[in-house]
Amino acid sequence: MDDELAAPPRSSTSDRSTEQGPHLAPHRKRARRAVRRDGYGAIFISPFVLALTLFMIVPIGYAIYESLYTTKLIGGTSYSGFANYRAVLSSAQFWDGAKRVAVFAVVQVPLTIGIAAFFAALFDAGVSRFGKLLRTIYFMPFAVPAVVASVMWSFLLLPHLGPFSKLADAIGFHNTNFFSTKLILPTIIVMVIWEWTGYNMTILFTSLRAVPRTVTEAALLDGASLWTIIWRVKIPMVRPAIVMLCFVNAVGALQLFTEPQILAAFQPQAVSFGFTPSLYVYNTAIGSAEYNLGAAAAVVLGLLIGAVSIGSMGLRRRNGEFA
Amino acid sequence: MTTMQAPRPTQRARESRLDDDVVPLHLYGLRRGTTTLVTAIAVLFALFILAPLVWLVINATKTQANVYQTFGFWFARPFKLFENFSALFKNASGAGVYAKWLANTAVYAVAGGVGATALSAFAGYGFARYSFRGSKAMFYLVMSTLLVPITAVALPLYLVYAKVHLINSIWGMVLPSMVAPVGVYLMRTYIDATVPRELIEAARIDGASEIGVFFKVALPLMVPGLVTVLLLSVVAVWNNYFLPLIIFSRNSSYPLTVGLASLSHAAETGSKAQLVPVLIAGGLVTIAPLILLFFLLEKYFRRGALQGSLTG
Repeated sequence: MDDELAAPPRSSTSDRSTEQGPHLAPHRKRARRAVRRDGYGAIFISPFVLALTLFMIVPIGYAIYESLYTTKLIGGTSYSGFANYRAVLSSAQFWDGAKRVAVFAVVQVPLTIGIAAFFAALFDAGVSRFGKLLRTIYFMPFAVPAVVASVMWSFLLLPHLGPFSKLADAIGFHNTNFFSTKLILPTIIVMVIWEWTGYNMTILFTSLRAVPRTVTEAALLDGASLWTIIWRVKIPMVRPAIVMLCFVNAVGALQLFTEPQILAAFQPQAVSFGFTPSLYVYNTAIGSAEYNLGAAAAVVLGLLIGAVSIGSMGLRRRNGEFA
Repeated sequence: MTTMQAPRPTQRARESRLDDDVVPLHLYGLRRGTTTLVTAIAVLFALFILAPLVWLVINATKTQANVYQTFGFWFARPFKLFENFSALFKNASGAGVYAKWLANTAVYAVAGGVGATALSAFAGYGFARYSFRGSKAMFYLVMSTLLVPITAVALPLYLVYAKVHLINSIWGMVLPSMVAPVGVYLMRTYIDATVPRELIEAARIDGASEIGVFFKVALPLMVPGLVTVLLLSVVAVWNNYFLPLIIFSRNSSYPLTVGLASLSHAAETGSKAQLVPVLIAGGLVTIAPLILLFFLLEKYFRRGALQGSLTG
């Protein structure tokens, strides 16, 4: 790097002039070489594309094929058209789960990103003390698998015995059962906020730090307060990052699986067969060994999430942001 | 190439700006007490984040009765940490051998992570520095696979594995873990920012082959980006639950996540006593390597987040 900088500017311009000189390489030969060279691009991406084909595209194609068949204990496998899809789409359990994850996403995503943005903006301005240490602590759950997080929270919230249940009891909420049918979804929302706020905060913090300092200084000269700068200047400038996070969090929320699946081991009555669409797919295909029906459910879930993704991307386009 | 380009800030300059280049706080003219109030709220949230982790460490030292009966956030006698660890590694549960799960996880995470990084590096370079026929369409195809939910891939993989006898195979876990579209995206943006086209052209004029240019010129410049992708993919495989849950039916093939889930099931429903603290110790051993890795290499994680946000 330093050598390049130290090189006298004149020599670099003279290099360029010889490079562009007509005597160096005949035009057509050069173009042909460039085309042949670009073929190497295909070689470089081929290992990834091969793996993608074998371990994603082919399996999904095979699952679509399987979803069009029905296997019976007596009579074997036979083509059944869209019968499995009709069964999934008319299943109350599937739609019950779909509605639940929709509610879950609508609550969890704004809460997570809101809390993350609040802390990111304040750390960015340096308002909180111990900013660096706190940021590190917030990011720690990123290193904790959802399985371990769910096990920890299950014990912390265990009715009567968990420390948080005892705490709720002590402050007047007697016999609180965080796993009751009413409270289980808010409980899972708290768990997921615990898991993902730090990750969101880190991304927003780094984007906020990338906003040039002069922007803040100009706003200060105009007499803006800290809150105005955060709300009117800085947050709008990191909107692309916020939109990306909404999108990533929403796709994750719609696939909700691990937390309820682990809680089900502790509290079987609170987590039904189709508590979320992912649980429906798992319980149908692996639990009940109805592979064809499970395949159809997986395809429907994939299409639903794909539709939400493409829909939100369309929104981003309309707002003039890079998708 | 005739226009002058402003020099790009180097990675180091960008990183130091994260912590140093701050508008002095007093310029905001905040009311007294604001800093204290904000700090208090931030510390409260930190306590919320730390509470389960502290609980995990403390309760890994207890007996099962004490986990339930004593105050969750302080130690109690007898101190059983080492007994719990040794029970963990002696298959006290009958659900499987924990040491085997730990080894499996390490193999899956390292092999899958290294593979994902290599494939991402090749593909990212191909997309960033060549424009071959269909390269744009191919890139959009790769990016669109980011939208495919893991649930919609794991079950299809299971169906294929059942046909080609890959159930319970290491390869059934490692090979799909190598497909990381995020890695391709991160490597592409990293190469765009750090590997100058002029340098590649100069190496070509010097007679280097295309493969030689990649390994001798581009790869050394890509190292920090490679470390970021490696870390993110190792963590992703280490924490993966849905895929191994579906494709492994034999508990000697389990990674830690699936093993711990089966252990927690045994602890809750089985009649074998004293499994709860063993489960808690197991959770502690599962997260310890990652927390350690994360503290040692925090800046690389942060850089991954940075790239994802700046260019996304």
